[in-house]
Amino acid sequence: MNRYIKLVNFEFNRFLKIYLVLIGITIASQILGAIIRSNQYLNDMNDLLYEQLMTREAALEQLGKISFYHITQTVWFMGPIAICIVTLLIYMFFIWYRDWFGKNTFIYRLLMLPTARINVYFAKATTILLMVFGLVAIQLLMLPVGRRVLQWMIPVDFRVDQTIREILTSFDYLMILFPSTFYEFVIHYAIGFAVVLVVFTAILFERSFRWKGIVFGLIFGAFAVTIFIFPVIVQAFILPEFFYPIELFALECIAGLVVVSLSIWTSNYLLKKKIRV
Amino acid sequence: MIEVKDVKKRFGRKEVLKGVSFTAEKGEITCLIGINGVGKTTIMNAIVALTPINSGQILIDGEELHKGSYEKITFIPDAITMLPQMRIIDAMQFMDDFYDCWNEKRAEEILSFFKLDKQERIANLSKGNTAKVNLLLGLAMDVDYILMDEPFSGIDIFSREQIAEVFTSHLIEDRGVIITTHEINDIEHLIDKVVLLNEGYVLKEFSTEEIRENEGKSVIDVMREVYQS
Repeated sequence: MNRYIKLVNFEFNRFLKIYLVLIGITIASQILGAIIRSNQYLNDMNDLLYEQLMTREAALEQLGKISFYHITQTVWFMGPIAICIVTLLIYMFFIWYRDWFGKNTFIYRLLMLPTARINVYFAKATTILLMVFGLVAIQLLMLPVGRRVLQWMIPVDFRVDQTIREILTSFDYLMILFPSTFYEFVIHYAIGFAVVLVVFTAILFERSFRWKGIVFGLIFGAFAVTIFIFPVIVQAFILPEFFYPIELFALECIAGLVVVSLSIWTSNYLLKKKIRV
Repeated sequence: MIEVKDVKKRFGRKEVLKGVSFTAEKGEITCLIGINGVGKTTIMNAIVALTPINSGQILIDGEELHKGSYEKITFIPDAITMLPQMRIIDAMQFMDDFYDCWNEKRAEEILSFFKLDKQERIANLSKGNTAKVNLLLGLAMDVDYILMDEPFSGIDIFSREQIAEVFTSHLIEDRGVIITTHEINDIEHLIDKVVLLNEGYVLKEFSTEEIRENEGKSVIDVMREVYQS
């Protein structure tokens, strides 16, 4: 356990610089986005009021009031979220492959640590999970910050103030990152974590059997997806409307647990018996 | 004792090891010799479970390798096993964090023996100094067995001499060493046992002392006889 925690700490520190850059990009872009979008609204409003000499009511009728929702629709807001997601997706592969390739042969060291090799797998998965939660937390903190920027820049008569909950529910993509119930939160992030474990197992197949391993990895991935969606397939095509929603949810949880267990067991076997440097 | 028993290993269609057997005792230096591609590195990797074998058995003091074995045996490959961005001191700290058998005092001793600056980054080291850091990380562990793969590969003569000195020092004393090298001249007088490999087989296994005393031959003489016949 002690060595597992040390490994998590070590893995996290290896990515820290890029991680801090991602956080920096998110903070800077979203604050800048709030300023630019608010400024753009003010310019448009000034144009209607002072160039086209409209009344305030007519200008508001034409342009509408601005809310934080409008800021979330800009590339300044969604761009850094997309960058973070893409970076973490790439890092899911990089976290393993960098230990084999390049100038270092760090995988020798990782595989020769006096601890169960599966701890390396768990440490890398935990690192990814911590990074995801960290970025999600930063994003959550950025919502009131962006909203405050909007409030500073736009007079109260020209804006609609939204609560954080309203901001989250007004935009579908944010609903994925910040589900409205704990139940949905567990589903979203458990599926994400299961995907990470399945991808890790596929990578270990490739690292154990090289070219053949790519095929094994793809088969394993397809098998995992099939197991996971099996209850839904049964409900849709074999026994239509047979399960109550709560039963279907329970079956999905069991299928998810099977996928996760299978990934861990297979990875443990590959790391112990098949992996090569 | 490390026992390698009838080990076979295949990479795709090529059978690299075709039933290799030998033993390496504690307190002895055993040298694996053979031309490129005979499977020396594969044997080393297999002993520390970095390459799975197809059949056969490898025992370390009568047991198959398990996670605790890495406190008993260490492998020094021909490439550095630490991250290039690390400083030497970071690498030493890493070893201290993860290995109970890490001996900080000995590490400091080796550091000054090799005249290495522990603040230097691994990426900035010369090839010779990289090899020395690799040796430092292996030798500073209080283990019973040390495996070294081509420790003299591609480094200058002065670094080679310095590394060869290690073999006569107390750093190696009482430990079992398995070494692969092409630079046999550097350590010929230090090795106790030789395993000559060819095309996946052990051609000959002999004690250097017996060969010297009984037949008046050097290791290189025996190599010539065996490989050129």
